[in-house]
Amino acid sequence: MVFKKKYVVISVLACTVAIAVAALPSANSEFRNLRVLPKNISSQNLSKIMIDDFEDGLGVSCTFCHAQGKDSLRLDYASDAKPEKQIARRMMTMTMGINKKYFGLKHPLLGDSVLAINCITCHNGQPRPGDLETK
Amino acid sequence: MKNDKLIDFDENDDGIDRAGFLKCMAWAGTGLFCLMSGGILKTYGMSQIIDKTTGGIKKGLDISKGDFSFAQISDTHIGFNKPANPDVIGTLQASISKINAMPSTPSFILHTGDLSHLAQADEFDTLEQTLKSAKTGKIFYVPGEHDVLNDNGKQYLQRFGKDTKGNGWYSFDFNGVHFIGLVNVVDNSEGGLGVLGNEQLQWLESDVKGLSSSTPIVVFAHIPLWAVYPQWGWGTRDSEQALSYLRRFGSVSVLNGHIHQTLQKVEGNITFHTATSTAFPQPQPGAAASAGPMKVPAEQLRNLLGLTSINYVEHDHTLAVTDLPLSDAQQQQPAHQ
Repeated sequence: MVFKKKYVVISVLACTVAIAVAALPSANSEFRNLRVLPKNISSQNLSKIMIDDFEDGLGVSCTFCHAQGKDSLRLDYASDAKPEKQIARRMMTMTMGINKKYFGLKHPLLGDSVLAINCITCHNGQPRPGDLETK
Repeated sequence: MKNDKLIDFDENDDGIDRAGFLKCMAWAGTGLFCLMSGGILKTYGMSQIIDKTTGGIKKGLDISKGDFSFAQISDTHIGFNKPANPDVIGTLQASISKINAMPSTPSFILHTGDLSHLAQADEFDTLEQTLKSAKTGKIFYVPGEHDVLNDNGKQYLQRFGKDTKGNGWYSFDFNGVHFIGLVNVVDNSEGGLGVLGNEQLQWLESDVKGLSSSTPIVVFAHIPLWAVYPQWGWGTRDSEQALSYLRRFGSVSVLNGHIHQTLQKVEGNITFHTATSTAFPQPQPGAAASAGPMKVPAEQLRNLLGLTSINYVEHDHTLAVTDLPLSDAQQQQPAHQ
């Protein structure tokens, strides 16, 4: 009888956990391989960063950092095949570090309007800031 | 239009030549008005045909003889709120007002993509709600690259792609004209060029196969199907193949958005038009470090949304055509007001 009770309790707990996990916001579960950006970032914030910071800030399109899938013309957003994506991660880390170290922001987040500097500060619509110096 | 010469070479006997068209586009408001007459598509900027004092059609523009008319709007970018235009809903409503002011109601509207800015549900909701005030028939859509962010267009297809094929391409017939909506923003190409892809190209070939060569064709897609400025991704990588299926037709009109300015090019029997955005202007091809929202003084925004300047066309084989420069277009502006 005691065994049965334990079994029931465990089953109920297991079900509760399963339901709770299923009920968690799933909006960002599709975003895989996020290393610098928050893993729980919303679709809206992620898109905003991609458009405002990268596309407009660097004057590039998605294919600048994201590789195409195997046997597909669609992008594999999770892929790390392109070195530009690794560089973008380092740049994000650097940018947040500068905002924190030199501008006193405690928890800087890319896309946040209070940032003292962001991508466009140096890139100014160019993929590489150095492009401006050489002109 | 007083004291402004619009017609130098009236090749099509339609009351306007290419230079005149571009001059008018220089001050046009948002949206294009397309008139299909005898299988020939004529395109006008909204401000070009509306008399500001009466709200009616300008004298000398008889649109009632046309077989039917439709309007094109593009790049509404609902959700965009940066300084280039913090009120994209207001400018969309202004565009709708111009459509509604037409004495002859356009049969339908073509929206050539970038409905939303970040492909969010609330942005699509707002667009649909706002467009309900347009007094036209159906609205036909194709997606822009902003509509397929993150989910490769899944949400767009659910909302706007019913009864379409593949990533949202389709065709329909209206008054003897065959309309083809193409999708060139889901598959990707280096440099941001549009891609139609083999599956869609095969569909297109088969879609037009049974049509008589005298059937007027209207193609609409987001990214231009001609090489406007490939350095900024303003072109479609495999558009030539698509156009090869259409060259046998006597009248082909290709309508695009994406570049937020009005350009026109005629290539044999194919006429290309790109539409202005209802949301924000972009720089002329090559005139800035990159494409993107262009901030202008607030009082100029609504005029500049329709601004057209340069036809810069760069084909794969270095053929380049330059049209009226922006400075000339701007100088013409006061004459229209």
